[in-house]
Amino acid sequence: MAVKIEKTFRVDEPIEKVWAFLKDPKKVGTCVPGAQITEQVDERTYKGAIKVKVGPSVTDYKGEVQIVRLDEAAHEIEILGKGQDVRGKGSASMKMTGKLQTVDGGTEVINSSELNVVGILAQMGARVITEVSNIMFEQFVNNFRKQLQSPDAAQGEMAAAKPISGVGLAFSALKASFSRHSGSEETKSDTPDSTKTTDDSGVK
Amino acid sequence: MAPEKTSPGLVDLEKTSPEISGMGHKMKRKEDSRFTQGRGNYVDDVNLPHMVYGHMVRSPYAHARIKSINTEAAKKLPGVLAIITGEDLAKANLAWMPTLFFDKQMVLATGKVLFQAQEVAFVVAEDRYVAADAAELVEVDYEELPVLVDPHKATDPSSPILREDREEKSNHIFHWEVGDKQATDKAFTDSAVNAKVHAVFQRCHPAPLETCGCVADFNKATERLTIYLTSQAPHAHRTLFALVGGIPEQNIRVVSPDIGGGFGNKVPIYPGYVCAVVASLTLGVPVKWIETRSENLQSTGFARDYHMTAELAADKEGKIKAMRVKTLADHGAFNAAAQPTKFPAGLFSVCTGSYDYPAAFCEVDGVYTNKAPGGIAYRCSFRITEAAYLIERAVDVLALDLKMDPVELRRKNFIQPNQFPYATPLGWTYDSGDYEGALDKALKMVGYTELRKEQEEKRKKGELMGIGISSFTEAVGAGPAHTFDIAGIKMFDSAEIRIHPTGKAICRMGTKSQGQGHETTYAQIVAQELGIPAKDVIIEEGDTDTAPYGLGTYASRSTPTSGAATAMAARKIRDKARKIAAFLLEASEEDLEWEPGKFFVKGAPGKAKTIQEIAFAAYTNIPPGLEAGLEAVNYYDPPNLTFPFGTYIAVVDIDKGTGEIKVRKFVAVDDCGNVINPMIVEGQIHGGLTEGLAIAFMQQIDYDENGNVSGGTFMDYLVPTAVETPHWNTGLTCTPSPHHPFGAKGVGESPNVGSPAAFVNAVVDALSHLGVRHIDMPITPWKVWNILKEKGIAS
Repeated sequence: MAVKIEKTFRVDEPIEKVWAFLKDPKKVGTCVPGAQITEQVDERTYKGAIKVKVGPSVTDYKGEVQIVRLDEAAHEIEILGKGQDVRGKGSASMKMTGKLQTVDGGTEVINSSELNVVGILAQMGARVITEVSNIMFEQFVNNFRKQLQSPDAAQGEMAAAKPISGVGLAFSALKASFSRHSGSEETKSDTPDSTKTTDDSGVK
Repeated sequence: MAPEKTSPGLVDLEKTSPEISGMGHKMKRKEDSRFTQGRGNYVDDVNLPHMVYGHMVRSPYAHARIKSINTEAAKKLPGVLAIITGEDLAKANLAWMPTLFFDKQMVLATGKVLFQAQEVAFVVAEDRYVAADAAELVEVDYEELPVLVDPHKATDPSSPILREDREEKSNHIFHWEVGDKQATDKAFTDSAVNAKVHAVFQRCHPAPLETCGCVADFNKATERLTIYLTSQAPHAHRTLFALVGGIPEQNIRVVSPDIGGGFGNKVPIYPGYVCAVVASLTLGVPVKWIETRSENLQSTGFARDYHMTAELAADKEGKIKAMRVKTLADHGAFNAAAQPTKFPAGLFSVCTGSYDYPAAFCEVDGVYTNKAPGGIAYRCSFRITEAAYLIERAVDVLALDLKMDPVELRRKNFIQPNQFPYATPLGWTYDSGDYEGALDKALKMVGYTELRKEQEEKRKKGELMGIGISSFTEAVGAGPAHTFDIAGIKMFDSAEIRIHPTGKAICRMGTKSQGQGHETTYAQIVAQELGIPAKDVIIEEGDTDTAPYGLGTYASRSTPTSGAATAMAARKIRDKARKIAAFLLEASEEDLEWEPGKFFVKGAPGKAKTIQEIAFAAYTNIPPGLEAGLEAVNYYDPPNLTFPFGTYIAVVDIDKGTGEIKVRKFVAVDDCGNVINPMIVEGQIHGGLTEGLAIAFMQQIDYDENGNVSGGTFMDYLVPTAVETPHWNTGLTCTPSPHHPFGAKGVGESPNVGSPAAFVNAVVDALSHLGVRHIDMPITPWKVWNILKEKGIAS
């Protein structure tokens, strides 16, 4: 079950500040609802976990996040995340590309993610997974913005955050973690059956 | 719904009085009073003292190696009694079980899993909820393996070999062919026209209202095992439990109580049943296991998944010369098709249809994929639906190529009434038919000429309307012992009738109703044959301790087999009743005449004995030299299948803005020979057409590239409600089966078999002027809208 989500939005911060944050999984990871970066394996590889509650079923993914490509000059990052549910309910993987561009008075974040889910969650279909990704993305953007503005205050808040409870997917959150901010986003999702979602299509 | 030739659907049969309510009477269903009052007794209604509950742990992966299973956390949950894994079953040699088609299937996975939702472990607990919670705590460590989803890639060297247990390291299961290849190829070379269509009959699921389940109750004191089972074939299941489980057959009692729909889904034996039995044998208490809806859709027997190519050779005038068929059958991870052993592709070779041509060749290849196992006969006699769909689609494509009206083309090629019994080029002998009769009646009912005029007008205005015809023939009532067996057991069926001293009766059959109304129709057969009012006849099925042996109910076989056995047993009773009547009337047997309900002396109708008087005498005033009692058993081996037929016509309108298809009108004219109960026949037609509608427009068990099921819940696998269902206009013609004791043919499956082609033909007809020749089911608005967009006419 593959879902492709493309999002572009802008933030009112200088590009270098945003870039410094974006390329550090330890920082970005704390913005992902329900996620933790537990260990740095090497310069570009991290271990992490994320808990997603979908209806009655809690999925507890553990896995690795790896920076596959880091282009400082172009402000581009490509990340691969892979994880398995600890009780064997399935797995998920995510390939994400994030690119920053200076725009008038701020930074534009261009994000493209391919999420692949196997297992019980995948049966919920693209429409659910895409929506969940959108919600997690929104939450992530809020967290991310807070962190950018006042890292310490946000840090405390993050630590208290509970696992995301929604219809969601671990690595959709990680994907969301590399694109950011709310405001006027433009969302394009391509799924196998070409359902389209927009950012305001929230799950209650 | 009055049949054309004689009212009401009885040829050469005398209609009994309403009091007797024999065949042809619209008797209300006897079983409905309990069903409509919530007093049915289904498997999940069975509650026994000390009963515990099972829950299945299932694989999230379509293909993965099991590295380890950790049950420690689950075992610690209070109330958990046992957790069974494949390794546990392997110790008892029960990790695998045979399927109904020369393959084997994992009961609980050992080594690796082969489809999503495959059974991995069975948790038993004191309470259903604890069992489900504990199942969540079972930790299974998987290593994902490459997944094979596309059956067309099954034999690619790059595809993973799924079945490591097999000696043959290939995903190819079987190749089967029938017909004269040379003659067929020659006919194609010699013919002016060759119409070709690729049609996929998508993977569907019968989705019965009641899911599968059982209560296994092993009594350690008596050593008897009673299994309350959602079974369409209780006797066959008892024998299989005896053969596979090594339990003496006299110690097994299978009880199929009320069954909430089967449609072929309740023919196979499922891992859950075996696990419940193993758990009960181990724990010595009754164990209940009931599937959830998703478990039913994702893991139990699916239907169809036939990827077919049909070609028709014809001359320029539209006379068909030959048919050539090549098919790829996706059987999933195990070949769990439930079908007669001589027919790896079931009765698919009736694909030559209602038409007369000398040559045909049909080949089928079966393959494994990482999908749920099955290939069951969903309301059809083993691939008949696929066959009927294919030929009726192919004929329409030929009509398109010839620019000929599909009605005219069909008429030109129909097997004629005087050609019966008709030997088809692929080896079947059709018993009787009048295809043009059914077609004419349907055309008249639907107003065909006016509809074609309307369509022409609408096309000028740019509106989309289509008319789809399906003149199907199907083969039901498996079947003759010389050709048909399931797992070696011949496909006869049985009836036992006992007449009580007061002239009332109880009958038991080897079949098992799942909603077909057997308690009413079998009683009407007895009423017809013996003149005992149908209301005085109790029908009992499903208890293997009491009912005579039989192969069960599917493939529209109950009326052709057990129905026939009922008539034959009743006739034995009538023969004995004649002897008793002769004794009572002091007349010779030859001087007695029978009319439903009594024997009388020829020429002296006043000198008569009713069947009730005769029954009383059978216990109170027994003629010298005659055994007491009045009962008989018959095991009926039908000489041939029966071949019901009909013409269905669908009229559709398509919304150019949304792609939505509205079935404006639907006419179904069926011919199932003599009718036992016209109201039940009509009910069967309504139900089957509604299923056909769902298959044509809504349903598919689909898989993504990783083998995740999409279509595993009712969110995605859509079931039509009254809102989506159009009005069904039904009609009958009556062409009795010449070999059946009372000329009946069986009707349950016709509407499911015949209707998908009518719906698809109608949609294609609406779009044919745009160059559309075929659309695969399910034809969703999304699919249609994309076609309209591509053709530049979506508004």
